[in-house]
Amino acid sequence: MKTFLVLLFFVPSLIAQEFKAINIRGDVKYRAGTSEVWAEVKEGTALHLDDFISTGEKSSVQIKESGNIISIGELSAVSVASIKKMSTDELLLALAMEDMINAPKTNSKNNSSSTAVYGDKEGQGKNLTVKTDDFGIRRLNGAMQLAKNGLKESSVVFAKETYRKYPNSKQFPSYRIFFADILYEKGLYEEALGEYLDIAKLDLSKEEKAKVESQTKSISKILLND
Amino acid sequence: MIALNLKILPQSSFGLAGYWGLQEPVTIPFYNYESNSSNYFGIKDWGIALQYGAEFSGSVNSSLYLLAMAKKLGNHSLSARFTPGYQKEFLFATGESIIINDTTTQSLEANYNYKELFGLGYSYRFDEQFNAGLAVRFFSQDFNQQVVKPVFGDTLYLVRETIDEKVNFWNVDLGFDYILNKNFQFRVSSINLINIKDDLTIEEFQGFEMDQKRGALLMASYMPADFFNFHLLYETSNSFQLSTTGSTSGFIYGLTAFHDYFQDPYIAGLIPAVGYRTNLFEILLSGVKYFSERNTNASFSKFYEEGINNIINNRYSFDKIVLSLALNISSTPEKKVELIDVEIVRDIYPTFYDKYIEQPFAFGKVVNISGETVNVIPSVKIEGITDEKIQSPPQTLEPGDTATVPFYLIIPDKYVIDKATLSYADFYVTTSSTEPDAQLQKAALINSLNSWDGNVANLRYFIMRDIDFSMNYAKSVLSNNKSVLDTLPSAISVFYKSKILFNNFVKSLVYASDPRATAEYVQFPKQTIELKGGDCDDLSVAYSSLLESVGIQTALVDYKEDGEIRHVNVLFNTKLIPTQAKFITTNDSKYFIRKNEQGNDEIWIPIETTSLTDFDEAWNVGVEKFNREAVNDLGLAAGKVEIIDVY
Repeated sequence: MKTFLVLLFFVPSLIAQEFKAINIRGDVKYRAGTSEVWAEVKEGTALHLDDFISTGEKSSVQIKESGNIISIGELSAVSVASIKKMSTDELLLALAMEDMINAPKTNSKNNSSSTAVYGDKEGQGKNLTVKTDDFGIRRLNGAMQLAKNGLKESSVVFAKETYRKYPNSKQFPSYRIFFADILYEKGLYEEALGEYLDIAKLDLSKEEKAKVESQTKSISKILLND
Repeated sequence: MIALNLKILPQSSFGLAGYWGLQEPVTIPFYNYESNSSNYFGIKDWGIALQYGAEFSGSVNSSLYLLAMAKKLGNHSLSARFTPGYQKEFLFATGESIIINDTTTQSLEANYNYKELFGLGYSYRFDEQFNAGLAVRFFSQDFNQQVVKPVFGDTLYLVRETIDEKVNFWNVDLGFDYILNKNFQFRVSSINLINIKDDLTIEEFQGFEMDQKRGALLMASYMPADFFNFHLLYETSNSFQLSTTGSTSGFIYGLTAFHDYFQDPYIAGLIPAVGYRTNLFEILLSGVKYFSERNTNASFSKFYEEGINNIINNRYSFDKIVLSLALNISSTPEKKVELIDVEIVRDIYPTFYDKYIEQPFAFGKVVNISGETVNVIPSVKIEGITDEKIQSPPQTLEPGDTATVPFYLIIPDKYVIDKATLSYADFYVTTSSTEPDAQLQKAALINSLNSWDGNVANLRYFIMRDIDFSMNYAKSVLSNNKSVLDTLPSAISVFYKSKILFNNFVKSLVYASDPRATAEYVQFPKQTIELKGGDCDDLSVAYSSLLESVGIQTALVDYKEDGEIRHVNVLFNTKLIPTQAKFITTNDSKYFIRKNEQGNDEIWIPIETTSLTDFDEAWNVGVEKFNREAVNDLGLAAGKVEIIDVY
């Protein structure tokens, strides 16, 4: 039965999907698969699952897939693969995967990291400074667009991936609260509580603080009653 | 003279230490052929015993009753005893007299001496319940009598002469023991089953020979506890013995009451015994107390009429005290545990040299057959692999307990085997001494060095086995690119080293499936590079080995369901943090974030090692597969894709 259910979850992703860009406004680009280059999206451009789409200021695009139309607003970036309907069970599975990846590697065996690195001049390398770009924020905007288009489960998964790849994006309470609320709404109370408790450590506005406290209390009550 | 058949019988069941049943822990009864015709004893190897005692016949006459020894050889038991003290001499006036020189009258005498000289015992233990054996004993009878003979000449006169004759005979008896369980044990033995004897030629001694009337002994023991055991021995002559025996903390006791058909009163006497025993020796002090008045004098006619029925136990026997000593000498230690069975649960792959240290390759079932708590050390030796026994951790077993013990194995890392071989594994269980208590041999399949069990986690053994070769190879390649590497920021050094190594590694390689068209054959890195090809396992092993040899962390990605065929490729740690990703790519879908031991995020990238064009292409192909199957299809969460760290 378990196998059967799991198979059902994957049915949508197994069916070949066709995505098409329509109603393009302003600066809309896409990046194909593993390409390093962004290309302009034109009306009717076919998109694939491993493509990424990004919108500039005052820009938008609609993505049509099997009769469904998803609207992406300005300053947003989404992967085409994330434009998919997920069940709550699939969301749970994805969150479990996040936890798995985020668990620190525990290995009792000797780590093979060398103490002497061939050819390296430790401490003498050029000090590269890394600038925080806004692509992480664009991805979070994209995730919000997914939610607004009814793809709430996949929006959370996409946001979580963004937090991992762009750690600075975790510092914005409004996005964090938005996606935590989705978890709450979907009845994933323990997952939502973890998020709210983490958000509470951030620098919050008065309203944000009140919201987080209220949600935390509410979840605690629900969990206690269970 | 009328030749009457006197009731002088060979020994039947009477023993100077009493009757002890079939108790294995007690050594002494082993030489008591009178009640142990089946030669049953609990000595594990060698046993030596003596009985020395005194008879209170007015004066105290001491003598060595017997010397005995026993030897156990597997299921065969042998024993022998020499019995110098088993004899009874009768001196009588025959009732005739002769007048010498018309003045002196001299009575004529008769002297009859009955002796048991020695005996031999043999038995075979068919199984834990059934034992059968025989006892062969040698007896001697010396008859000596003075007679008057007329001498005819010119004058008739009488002379006194002594006539004598020695009559020997052999006696063979069989015995069978049935041990139903610890509580109930039974024995049946013959009495005088076979007699082989010399012919008696002198008429005067007719009727004084020991009788060899056939009979049987039936015995039963009920042993509810070590301290209380009860035994009943019945002879078909209508004699019987009842005894209770027991032991606690090394102390032993026995009390035998015997009814002798030929003696009065009904219970003719008691044989109390106390002693102390260890695994090495046994000492027992016993006594024989008769309840009737002992006869010291009897007429020749009375003797002629009644006779005796036993050499050491008859109406002319006296109370005795007997000291029995026995040594239990063992060249092999006492067996405390038995290895009932062994099951080999894992095939042996020699390349997984330390795997069987953590995961036992076999389990054995061991039972503690001793009466004490023992520490069992399992060990194993495999022909062709291990010169010494490989010991597993000890396990404590209470008396009577059965436990499953694991057998671990260490395979020498330089062990070489070209093809699968059927070998033999000797499994041992050892308790206190260095000699094993029990052992069992099982056939074991030793796979070839290149054999693999299909578990991707075990590919790390192939990665690490050729690590010296990989290190030399990698260092040589990186050394040739020193000028390029020196100009790079240290942060991206790992990434570029990996790239250079891959590009060099794939230059001359082609993809080739397993030579045996199975997934169970994996090449070592050296073989892959020398053979210039391999399949996904071989190529992933080789590339991972090259990276690990220069300190770059790798993991294998196990795609468990890729159609019908599983697939493996490599992830490596660039050591970059997420904010440094742009140093290697502007496409954030081309890497994967993993937390390290400290909980910090690091960028790992997947490489499809079968993509033998160049690093960038292998990276792209690796990313596409990884993103599709591991991430988008939630393969990692569903268990369809697994990341296995090499170290």
